[in-house]
Amino acid sequence: MLTVDKLSKSFGEIKALQDVSFSAADGTITGLLGPNGAGKTTCLRLLYGLLQPDQGHARVDDIIVEQQPRNARRQLGIFPDKFGLYNRLTAREQIEYFAGLHGLTGKNRAKAVDDIIAELQIEGISNRRSTGFSQGERMKVTLAQALVHRPRNLVLDEPTRGLDVMSTRIMRDRLRSLRDEGHCILFSSHVMQEVAALCDRVVVLANGRLAAEGTPQQLCELAGTNELEEAFVRIIGTDEGIAA
Amino acid sequence: MKAAIALWLTMVQKELREAWRDRRALVAAMAIAVMAPVVIYAATQTAINEALDRPDIYIKIDGQESAPRLISWLAEQGIHPLAAAPEEQASLWQDRDIQLTIPTDYAELIQSGRTIDVVLRADYTEKALLAPLRRVRQAVIDYSRNLGTQRLVMRGIDLQLLRVIELHEQDTAPTGNNTGFITLLLVLYLMLAAFLSGLPVAVDSSAGERERQVLELLLCQPVGTGQIVLAKLTVASLVSAVGVTLTLFFSALVIPLIDLARIGLAFTLDFTTALTLLAILLPLSVFAASLQLFVAFFSRSFKEAQSTVSMVMMLPAIAPMALTFVNDRPDILSWLPISGQYLLLEAVFKGSGVGLGESLITALATLTICLILSLVLSRRLRSQKAILSLG
Repeated sequence: MLTVDKLSKSFGEIKALQDVSFSAADGTITGLLGPNGAGKTTCLRLLYGLLQPDQGHARVDDIIVEQQPRNARRQLGIFPDKFGLYNRLTAREQIEYFAGLHGLTGKNRAKAVDDIIAELQIEGISNRRSTGFSQGERMKVTLAQALVHRPRNLVLDEPTRGLDVMSTRIMRDRLRSLRDEGHCILFSSHVMQEVAALCDRVVVLANGRLAAEGTPQQLCELAGTNELEEAFVRIIGTDEGIAA
Repeated sequence: MKAAIALWLTMVQKELREAWRDRRALVAAMAIAVMAPVVIYAATQTAINEALDRPDIYIKIDGQESAPRLISWLAEQGIHPLAAAPEEQASLWQDRDIQLTIPTDYAELIQSGRTIDVVLRADYTEKALLAPLRRVRQAVIDYSRNLGTQRLVMRGIDLQLLRVIELHEQDTAPTGNNTGFITLLLVLYLMLAAFLSGLPVAVDSSAGERERQVLELLLCQPVGTGQIVLAKLTVASLVSAVGVTLTLFFSALVIPLIDLARIGLAFTLDFTTALTLLAILLPLSVFAASLQLFVAFFSRSFKEAQSTVSMVMMLPAIAPMALTFVNDRPDILSWLPISGQYLLLEAVFKGSGVGLGESLITALATLTICLILSLVLSRRLRSQKAILSLG
């Protein structure tokens, strides 16, 4: 469960987030949707505890992030926006490293690594160095390192960017089965179709404010249109109307 | 505590793996160690030859025709009339203008056993003339003394009577100019090894990770920035220490081949000395690594990191050279990193011995500065500015 409660953050004159509240429940895929510059990255960085909020709190399960950032991060799996891999490490070493960062050691770590490798079906590449991996392979390794410590909550930042159709599909299927296992998944994207295809609920950010929140269906009704894309444009374009 | 150690091991293992597999950088880093014998041998041999070399001197001699034997004695000492100077040196010695005047009645005076006034004229404040003037003076005095003793011997006088006092001069400055140069060279080389060997690892694990966009994800993990810095510092220091050890090892192979004793350097690189040098240099490895990490972490790119860190590299080169110009060295210098190690290393090479106490103080002072640098770095890595600069 991820909760954002009246969160505000400014950088000098720029108000990156203003009084934003939403939550992402367990067993749900929540989409964090917004155009570039809407405040998605800032919002996620506050959730990770990289930045301190000016007001409000971000919570991971019951942990207030800015008070116990490291405990909060233990409950988080993160699939970053720019997923750089360690080119001189093999996929297995890379996943092992992240398992170690989350405090897994010895046999527990070896088992966790084996399990996630089997689960994501990357045995074939697990002993290869990540130089020369395809985007799809890189995605799987990144997902494996995010999930190796079995976090309850998974945050993905633009995860399907640069992926081909097959990889995107694999990713979606994986996220759906994680949801069915009861995980809380927060999926940040600026691509409408992506969110529509996958998310149970959508949170729309625009200009640092919460523009709308609901199921894709509810958003369409709110905007008075049948198409989510049209709804998205109307919502971020006329936030006064939505707020009313 | 156990968890912290496990975490540290995880991070150190990963950094070591990456460093080990970046072979090209590693080989470049260790090149300084492998080059040590060649550089040290070539440079010291040149310096030793120069120290022992007595170049010919050309001076203006008035009245040389009246003192042929004195002139030939001077020639044996490498002191020649200006007319004999080779073309390329003629104008140099013309300008130096050293003039030896022998009186025209020299032959007559010498026959009658009276004192002859010979004049040596030159600008005595000119530093370049000090060595030639000393040699001319010594040559004339020696000639005079030789002739004098011969006269006394002829008259059957015991020469012992002439030696009323025998003054033994002992120079407490253990080394002269050239030995100073060689000491500086050896010390500089070892300090450069400490700074150079760990450099690629320090830059790669900081600026490199940032450029490969893995730093932000690392900062999102349940690890403190202090732990991140500690792990990276451990590995960069370790690689630097390996570089220093190898440099010492290779130097130990070549130093016995150099005849340092000929220029008055009482130094042999035996096992104990090597361990002493290593003990002095290890804190410097940690200092080099922490300084490089500190600078490299906040560079915008790998390239920028390389150029800024190169400036850091100037420190071990400039500081000791500057120190050789400082006559009254304030105490603080023996505490500070680089200058402290320089003074200790210099003492080892001069054979004047190094106290355990002062070595410990220098090491502790250096490590304290490393700790401060690391703490500031950890704090800066947590700062909003650092996070926002990740893009």
